[in-house]
Amino acid sequence: MHLNYLANIGRYIPEILLTILMVGLILLETTYKEDEKNRRYIFITAIIGLVATFAALLANMGGKAEAIFSNAIVIDDFSTLLKMVMVLGTIGAVYLSRFSRDVYESLKTEFVIMAIGILIGGFLLASANNMLTFYLGIETLSILSYVMASLKKNDERSSEAGLKYALYGGISAGLMLFGMSHIFGVIGTIQFTGIAKMVPTLSPVQIAILMPSFLLFFAGIGYKIASVPFHMWSPDVYEGSPTPVTTFFAIVPKLAGIAGLVRITAIFFAVDSPLKIGWVGLMIVISALTMTVGNVTAIGQKSVKRMLAYSSISHAGIMLAGLIVMNNVGIRAVVFYAITYVFMTLVAFYIVSIVQDKYGNDNFDRFSGLIYRYPFMAVMMTVVMFSLTGLPPLAGFVAKYNIIQSLINTRNYSLAVVLGLNSVVSAYYYLKIVRIMVLKPQENNETIEGFGFLNQMVIVVMTIPVFTLGIFWETVMSWAGNAKLFIQ
Amino acid sequence: MISLGAYLGISFILFICGIMVMIARKNIIAILLGIELILNASALNFAAYTKFVNGNLEGHIMALFIIITAAAESAVGLGIVIRFFQLRESIHIDDASTLQN
Repeated sequence: MHLNYLANIGRYIPEILLTILMVGLILLETTYKEDEKNRRYIFITAIIGLVATFAALLANMGGKAEAIFSNAIVIDDFSTLLKMVMVLGTIGAVYLSRFSRDVYESLKTEFVIMAIGILIGGFLLASANNMLTFYLGIETLSILSYVMASLKKNDERSSEAGLKYALYGGISAGLMLFGMSHIFGVIGTIQFTGIAKMVPTLSPVQIAILMPSFLLFFAGIGYKIASVPFHMWSPDVYEGSPTPVTTFFAIVPKLAGIAGLVRITAIFFAVDSPLKIGWVGLMIVISALTMTVGNVTAIGQKSVKRMLAYSSISHAGIMLAGLIVMNNVGIRAVVFYAITYVFMTLVAFYIVSIVQDKYGNDNFDRFSGLIYRYPFMAVMMTVVMFSLTGLPPLAGFVAKYNIIQSLINTRNYSLAVVLGLNSVVSAYYYLKIVRIMVLKPQENNETIEGFGFLNQMVIVVMTIPVFTLGIFWETVMSWAGNAKLFIQ
Repeated sequence: MISLGAYLGISFILFICGIMVMIARKNIIAILLGIELILNASALNFAAYTKFVNGNLEGHIMALFIIITAAAESAVGLGIVIRFFQLRESIHIDDASTLQN
């Protein structure tokens, strides 16, 4: 009996920790569900477990990149760094769910459990090295997401969001599998490295079969990151789901999808081939469309959550633009963008969630005159909106600058121009909320309970990286630059 | 003996049927059935390619996992449909339109 495949299990501690945490939380939840007071222990356990996972990932950083479990999983600094970012986003969403009124009190613990389950799927997707783990990662992410989107059981909008998510998800997973099956048929293996070796030696007939197969393959992953034309679910799901769930969806599935896409792009299309030309062309078109559609549709929205949904579509497009630059500069830019995106998204959704809890809806008008009541929070929101637009000296500017720089280095001028123009368009709707907060007279003088001292502190702490990453970005940039992909 | 082409033809027909069902039918249960058809088409593809093209077990394992996840997915999907039906008393896809504006 050979147990060689268990030799590297030490590199897999973060995932094992998360799984133990999820099972333990299910046991705790069934025991303490009835008791109001004991429920906070579940939250404390979850946060401790997530911090422990973060520490385990940190210990994994800088180690030798290797493929473990018979080449099924890759542990490299790229995936580890993105996993750390996903854990940060999960901690943020879990803390938000603790005090949000959008999730029923009795279901808050279930939210935590499902969030950790989705995180496991995200980890699997971020380090998948064959089609089976890739598919399992996507399905673990998706199936739990459907339940999570319809978490507000008695709300029509929430169950409709879950329904739409499930239908779109099922369709795109089916399309992806059909594409995968033909890739497997032509190339003869499900291992990514085996596919990469075969790609340069294909005959024209095989390429003719593979082109539509890769297109179908992209459907599954494009749906997870909400890129055009698979983005239709995104605004509906983001609007219908409870706000903590939306926060979570905007971070973990999206980053996991980007990580998976970066990996398959870098592995399959490292060498010049007709397939590479086709794939890069597809990515350029999809990236430009995703940015433009997201930004243009965001302009007319009345609900801030829906606006943020469209803005997150356009951010996915920008990350796709960095992805077509298949060298270290491009991957570094994408990783840095992902890090800044998490903090900006968390702050924006925290403030929207607290305002929405107070008034019951999240129209732009609910923000009018916020600066007179909560000047500090309004300033934080303004900072984040400036950063999302990409104004210096904030983090969003550096992130966008790096993407554009990598595009220009590789002579993708047209996409760089599209990205620049899109930043101008996005300024309109990001600054609209700033204008409403500052210039419109306030509707009433009520206090918003969510903006207690503790929550204000949490929001400020999350905004600090948005400032500091814009100024002291070189350190993080060098981390991201060292986070190389493992390619055999 | 049945050739590879026959298997691929059947699975392609299943795939097209699934797509047609999802486009043409307005009943949510029927759409879930269409998804199942597509998943079965790809499982059939994996099994057939393993038998005819290469002898290793990777394709069979993929097919098994597809069956498992398809079951999980339809269980969750049906659960959500039941909840939707209880709230809206309809399983028509056009009734799921409160979120559009």
